Amino acid sequence: MSFYSVFFIFVITNRLSLMKGRVIYFAILTVLVFSCRSATNKTNEFIFPEADSFPAGEAEKLSSEAIEDISRNITSPVEIANLLQTMEVPFSPEYLASSVDANKQGTAFDRALTLGILGADLGYLNMYEKTGSSIDILSSIKKLAEGIRVGQFFDFETIKRLSLNKSNLDSLLFLSIDSYTQIDKYLRDNNRGQLSSLIIIGVWIEGQYLATQVIKQYPDTMLRDRIGEQKIILNDLLLLASPYCNLDNEFRELCKDLQYLKERYRDVRITFTLGDPVSVPKDGGLVVTQTETSNVEMTDEQLAGITELTSSIRNKLIDDN
Amino acid sequence: MIISMKKYILSLSLLFATFLITYGQSADPLVSKCVMSAGQTTKYLKDFRVQLGEGGSESDFRFKANMSLWKNTIYRFTMCNSDDSKGQLILTIKDKANKTILSSFDPETGKIYSFVDLHCNKSGIYQLYYDFTNKQSGSAVGVISMIR
Repeated sequence: MSFYSVFFIFVITNRLSLMKGRVIYFAILTVLVFSCRSATNKTNEFIFPEADSFPAGEAEKLSSEAIEDISRNITSPVEIANLLQTMEVPFSPEYLASSVDANKQGTAFDRALTLGILGADLGYLNMYEKTGSSIDILSSIKKLAEGIRVGQFFDFETIKRLSLNKSNLDSLLFLSIDSYTQIDKYLRDNNRGQLSSLIIIGVWIEGQYLATQVIKQYPDTMLRDRIGEQKIILNDLLLLASPYCNLDNEFRELCKDLQYLKERYRDVRITFTLGDPVSVPKDGGLVVTQTETSNVEMTDEQLAGITELTSSIRNKLIDDN
Repeated sequence: MIISMKKYILSLSLLFATFLITYGQSADPLVSKCVMSAGQTTKYLKDFRVQLGEGGSESDFRFKANMSLWKNTIYRFTMCNSDDSKGQLILTIKDKANKTILSSFDPETGKIYSFVDLHCNKSGIYQLYYDFTNKQSGSAVGVISMIR
């Protein structure tokens, strides 16, 4: 309780004792106690910042460190694919953006966004070790990367060799992810941050599309929670796009779509329960188990709304390309 | 004479450019080694290359990064030091409320763990703090993987 609250109670108490109005006194105290309690609860729930959009000036002030952090926070498609494998969901080429033709990407906007979308697809393919399809996607990625002059960061031959060998999934994942990390850094260092943001948004949208499509066929609590938890990331994603929202019509449209998606997430509740982590040494390392938990409350209608809009945004981006 | 000189300079420039491109593309061997040492049952997610000089305040960590961690996932944080590193890399993870979730350094026993597995039950954005023991200089890599 703040100093002002205590002072307020003190003043009110004195006034009321003079008035002998005990009923009013208890009523006010009750209101204060409950308002304090609800304020405490809020700290245990994730909510969007009050403002619906970020002032362009604020977003432009984001340090490169902050942008790098945001890009790291986007759920890796590898993590989504891993979750699908845990759920024993079989691989399906239907989820892939196979209709994309890398040769038809006319603008840098299209190329960067598609590079992100196909990057997520590559993560999905790699995890399921579907090497035949990944070679086609790799060729498209190569063209797109060259189209925005970042082809030098993609070691296509090695990735292709590792894909065909099926020998070392970790090396393949490392090289694929590392190539994207290098491209992202290079673009930001060379004042082409708008393309870096587009790649990150593309990766996220495709990962989100994959998760929401799978849950239609394979309802699962863990996957459902993961979709709901994207509320935490969506705000950062908007922050990343906001400096460029007025750059051209393509960006304007994309920002508008992300805002609509944010609206669909507004009433999804993420709450946290408290607890201390438990650490146990094991096999030369340390194993830490969190007893704190996060919980997602999302209705079927909310999930359906998010699924429908995600699909519409993603398909529009692919069809436009 | 001038023409052959120009050709010579051009050839040297091309050679240098080729070297830069090739060098830029090659993966850091320490990172590759660390990714491999994370274990057969893991899948690579990210890495942080940490190179720091000596010094700094005892209470501050000198390398910070944010990362989202997701519920129902087991993460492995592996730390690998280069041979010539004076200090050993240690990792501390805190949540948004600045509460310490884990540390690879046990101040009671002085033990430094080369890897820490986290059974994550709370999705959110976490702060990863890396530094070297006793604020020494060092060169190391921190790899983050998922356990299947």
